[in-house]
Amino acid sequence: MIDLNFERVSKKYKLPTNGDRPKRWYTRAFARRSGQMWALRNVNFRVNEGEALGIVGHNGAGKTTIMKILSGITTPTSGEITIRGRLAALVEVSSGFHPELTGRENIYLHGAMLGMRRSEIRKKLDSIVEFSGVGRYIEVPVKRYSSGMYVRLGFAIAAHLDPDILLLDEVLAVGDAAFQAKCLERIAELRKSGRTIVFISHDLAAVYRLCDRAILLSHGCVLSDGAPRQVIDEYQQMSFAGQGDSTNEEKESATRARCTGIEFSAPDSPLGIRTGYPLVARLNYKALEPIPDAVFRISLYWPSGYLCAQLTTESVNGGCQLEAGTGFVEFQCPDLPVVAGLYRVDLAIESKGQEVDFRQRGATLRVEPGKIAYGDFFIENAWTLHHTPALADGAILKSGK
Amino acid sequence: MSAPNITADNEVPDSSIKDSDGFEAATRLAPADGRPVKIIRPPSFSLSTIFIGLRTLVQYSDLLYTLSLFRLNVRYKQSALGWTWAALQPLALMGIYTLIFTRITSVATGGVPYPVFVFSGLLPWIFFSTTISNAVQGLVLYPNLLTKMYFPREIIPLSYMIASLTDFCIASVIMGGLMVHYKMPLTWHVLYAIPIIVLMAGFAAAIALFFSALQVRFRDVGLAMPFLLQVWMFTVPVVYSLQSVPPRFRSLYLLDPISGLIEGFRGAIIHGVTPDFRVMSLCGLVVLVSWPLAYAYFKSSEATMADVI
Repeated sequence: MIDLNFERVSKKYKLPTNGDRPKRWYTRAFARRSGQMWALRNVNFRVNEGEALGIVGHNGAGKTTIMKILSGITTPTSGEITIRGRLAALVEVSSGFHPELTGRENIYLHGAMLGMRRSEIRKKLDSIVEFSGVGRYIEVPVKRYSSGMYVRLGFAIAAHLDPDILLLDEVLAVGDAAFQAKCLERIAELRKSGRTIVFISHDLAAVYRLCDRAILLSHGCVLSDGAPRQVIDEYQQMSFAGQGDSTNEEKESATRARCTGIEFSAPDSPLGIRTGYPLVARLNYKALEPIPDAVFRISLYWPSGYLCAQLTTESVNGGCQLEAGTGFVEFQCPDLPVVAGLYRVDLAIESKGQEVDFRQRGATLRVEPGKIAYGDFFIENAWTLHHTPALADGAILKSGK
Repeated sequence: MSAPNITADNEVPDSSIKDSDGFEAATRLAPADGRPVKIIRPPSFSLSTIFIGLRTLVQYSDLLYTLSLFRLNVRYKQSALGWTWAALQPLALMGIYTLIFTRITSVATGGVPYPVFVFSGLLPWIFFSTTISNAVQGLVLYPNLLTKMYFPREIIPLSYMIASLTDFCIASVIMGGLMVHYKMPLTWHVLYAIPIIVLMAGFAAAIALFFSALQVRFRDVGLAMPFLLQVWMFTVPVVYSLQSVPPRFRSLYLLDPISGLIEGFRGAIIHGVTPDFRVMSLCGLVVLVSWPLAYAYFKSSEATMADVI
């Protein structure tokens, strides 16, 4: 069964030409027509029942517009959307809160805005309070809440909706690690029970982990539709290429050397890059002038944003001397210690401790499960078993005598 | 706009059932045709939007109730006098108008003490004007609500109307107290006040819907509204009686349904007379025509409200 069907959907926004103020009536009569912007252009896609679809794309690609149309906040300019089932959207979870009302009152208000009946909310109230962890502060006006409590309460209400189709828009970017884990658990639970999920995120690792299928949006068009890993790869190539292009023009004169690309490969391994197996990282650069004391860095970040590890040419003897021209630096790791997952990669070139080029989110690295590892790292090791045969209790006693 | 199926939607079970329960999930998905199907198309202005809109509104009736309740709650939060404010405002106005219209100049009241006379006019007028002035600001007060969440937007102006209606009921108690104080007889004609207030609420809702939708696009509405309401008050018989108006202008006067309704309300309460049937049916007609028009306009502009706010 198809739960969601987008058919030739387009959405046009009018752009006021002079800032965001409406034109005065006397100037409007003489002004030319205001500009237009197509947020979505002829978008077609389907989501099957029980499927989790991820939508990725750079800022302004039309992801949020899809959300707004689906949840009914705005309407398409043309096209038709069919939704089968009750739909609930988790978009910036606490926007419906009123600061003067207490936590409990806000649960009723926000729940009703999300389409819950009062009786339904009354039944779920205890469970919502427990999930949010707000506890005894439930009778305090939410204006006195910390921002974390605010967001947790918002998500707790939304998590107790019982929709057939759930829309998630960047909701996991909030709360502490423990709460995020709780949210992911709840979403996985909803998935398991056969809910259809549409998930919009910049967190590619989460898309990879949660979704069965993904689509890539760019400038309002669907560029690709398929397995998450394939779509994410395409998105990364696109964003890296795009970033290079735009900085080429802007920073040509300012930058003395640039990172022009990065390739990760696994020599002699048909299964790709795996934990505990060799990895080769090749960072291409272009130097416009000689760079003294140059240092290259490839930083791997966890999805949470913490630095996981870094490959660098830095050493106590200082950096290397680069001549003008192009080239690459190749890092060879005999056994990759990081565990399976998706890592964000930042690239940098430094000279005498000064940044020359820095590419934030320049690429991503996906590591497949390889050697068995739990925790954050795989520790290369060799082990031997030393066995002492057990003696009967009596034997010890006898020899002691 | 969309056409959600109410009956099917209500059949979606509550999730007091554990979601992780595989068996429950299976039975839940089995009657696949029981799910509501909603089709979203580009907006169009038509009469069917009214019916679809009203059906959605019924689904969200709990939100209307909750929001109206909280309008009242929030208004008097962190205020020392609290609910007394609902009565203080008309009382203060009564005092000032009594001072002006008995000391400085005078108006014909038909033998009724002026404080009671003006209070009986202020009561419905304050209900009408606060509904409109609050509702017009209401939609643009929290732009986040409009751009981040969906619920039928008319609930916001309507909730202000219900809150004003509650204030009206509180102030009515004061009205009763005043009548007892001035030893005025209460007749069964008081019951005529109920249909009059219903008509008034209908008209106030129509005006509030129309202007609040317009306010999203043009903030001029909100800026003009206080002034407009002030002028409006002096064009209807609140502080003076219809008898003070020259007879040749009276029929023109009664074209404004608020004039007829306030005059009818006052007559029923303090003079104990039956409202003029012709005037009332004219008011009813105006409400019946203006309501669907205002609602249809509101619903058609709702489709793009989030884009222009």
